[in-house]
This record gives sequence, C-alpha cells and structure tokens, in this order.
Amino acid sequence: MLMAQSRMTQVSNSSTFTENEEQAQLRFQTELEFVQCLANPNYLNFLAQRGYFKETNFTNYLKYLLYWKEPKYAKYLKYPQSLHFLELLQYEQFRKELANQQCAKFIDDQQLLHWQHYQRKRMKLLSDQADHANKSKDSKPS
Amino acid sequence: MGTPKGQQRQGAPEPSELIQLLVDKDKEIKDCLKTAGKQAEVQKTIDELKHEVDRRDLDIKILQKNLKEAENVLQTAIFQAKQKLDSIKQASEKKISSEELIKFAHRISASNAVEAPPTWAPGDHRRPYPTDYDMRCGWLAKMSDLPTNTPTQVAQGSYGEPMASNRNQAIPGQDMAVLPPPQQHLSVTWQNPPDTGSTTAPLHPHHNLIDFKGHNKENEDVELMSSDSSSSSSSDE
Repeated sequence: MLMAQSRMTQVSNSSTFTENEEQAQLRFQTELEFVQCLANPNYLNFLAQRGYFKETNFTNYLKYLLYWKEPKYAKYLKYPQSLHFLELLQYEQFRKELANQQCAKFIDDQQLLHWQHYQRKRMKLLSDQADHANKSKDSKPS
Repeated sequence: MGTPKGQQRQGAPEPSELIQLLVDKDKEIKDCLKTAGKQAEVQKTIDELKHEVDRRDLDIKILQKNLKEAENVLQTAIFQAKQKLDSIKQASEKKISSEELIKFAHRISASNAVEAPPTWAPGDHRRPYPTDYDMRCGWLAKMSDLPTNTPTQVAQGSYGEPMASNRNQAIPGQDMAVLPPPQQHLSVTWQNPPDTGSTTAPLHPHHNLIDFKGHNKENEDVELMSSDSSSSSSSDE
C-alpha cells in the first residue's frame, strides 16, 4: 500500500514523524486490532515461540501501546481483557513463560471459565429471584 | 482551813498563791476553750470551702471530658469531610458522560466479549478474545498481506505478522515523537477491508534501522507451521 511505503520514506529520511489524517486513522485501527489480539493467549504463545518478545523493538512497542489504558482510547475496545494482558506483557517473566504451550493453554482455560462465570452468576441470581417470587406467591394465598 | 502552821514546810507556796495560780490556770483554760471554739468555726468554714472546691473540680473534670469528646467527634467529621472532598475532586477530574459509559457497556456486552452466551457449550468456537478467524478478517491481516485462506478455517496457529512498521517506529530513546494516533470515531472494530483483492505489493518496508526479516518469507514459514503443527486445538470442557 502506498501509505506504508510513504511511511517508510518518512522514517528513513528524517527523525521526525509526521502523518496525515488517513495514515493516522489506519494506524489507529491497526493498533486497536493488535492490542485486542493480545487477549488471545494462543496468539501470545505464537509470538513468544517465534521470538518476538525477545526483540527490544517489540517490548518498546508494547510499552508504547499502554496508551490504550486511557479512557478516551479504552472506550473503543471490544475486548477489555486485552488491557490486562498488555499490562502483564510488560513483565519479562510473563513473556518468557508464554513460550510454554501449557502456560498458554492454562490461561485459555482460565479465560473461558471466567467468561462463563458471569453467565453462571447471573443465572443463579435470576433463579434465586424466581424462587423468591414463587415462595412469596405461595405464602400469599395462605 | 489550811494546814496548821506548824506542819507547813518551809518554802512551800502560800495557799493564796496556789489559789491565784488556780484562778490563772482556769482563766487560761477558758481562753483556750474560746480559741478552740473559734478555731472550730474556722475549721468548719475551711471544710465548706474545701467541699466547694471539690465540687468545682468535679465540674471542671466533666467539662474537660466533654471537650475532649467534642474534639474527637469534630476531628472525625473533618476527616470524613476531607475524604469526601477529595473523592469529589477526583470524580470531577475524571468525568465520563453516562452516555459514553452506556455505549462502552453495550459494546463489550453485546458481542459476548465479557460474558459467555447463554447457549455456549464446549465445541462452540466463540471466545472472549478475537479468534483466528476474526484476526484474519481484520485490518491487521490485510495490511500484512496474508494470503486469505478459507474463512471457515478455525484451527488456531496461523497468525499474521504483527504490525511491524508501527513496531519499528515506536522506539523510545530516539528523537521520534510517535504519539498515539488521535482517536477515531469507529463503530465496529473488525471491519471487512474495502479492497480485498487489490493489494498485491508487499507492504512491509525494509527499514534501514532494524535488521528485519523479509516479510514474505515469514509468511511462508507461518503457512508451513500452521499446516504442520498439531496446533493448540482448543480443548473445550
């Protein structure tokens, strides 16, 4: 794409980085997607196994991505768990651990369980409420 | 009546003298009694005053106690008021409109991103994170020029290149001022790219700055790995 090539020339020519609105929009969108992809433990495992986490560039980029924690940016996130993972990824120990397949699997399982937890809690609340309503109905005629 | 003169010893005091002494003593005793009486009265006054002083002391003690209690209560009240003021200040600094909150709440809930759908069962491919399929449909994959496989492929393990051009630019320590992009007005995160078939040119520039692997080669590796690896098949419980 022309945008990427123009960005390349900008970067290689000068040390100041300017971009027009279209490029900014694209960057916004791609960074938004990427940050949310970090919520996928399998993807993180993939990145770890291919050694991306060892590159200083990548770790700096992860640090840079922390801006998504600000409310004005965070409101665009569809998967807020990604912010938690982003925070964890700032730690080297976590990045190292992610190369392990079992670690990623464990995280995946925990995520699924947590995801279902809300559902179960709400179902329980609703069922409790229904029981309570039934009991009050039963007690009223008597 | 006195002793006969002959029986008196020599040098013994005269009766009249004795009587005089007696009278004097009697007078003295009377005076002493008077003084004692006066002293008794004074003592009474002293006792009364002492009693009064004790009462006043007690009053003072009670007042002191009350004052201390009042001070404590006021201190607590002021402390809590200060806390309230701090929290008010904090809240007013970080105002968020309720509309935005509702929008955000809707965004994260409507797509089952934070809560599992009620009908979810093991074997369902929906996840609380963007899945392989989602990622391939997004901008990221298109920018990386990943050859599109069949969209229904759900095996995990084949991912696109992370946004390398951005990654290589955001290097603190250099003089670049790479700021987060201004937020855009988006309604959907994963949008289908407008032009799917037109981009064939490699997108990733080879930066002079970093020793960066050739992008296309990496793509091939990715493809190989995804087909060979017994990749992390999502085991669902």
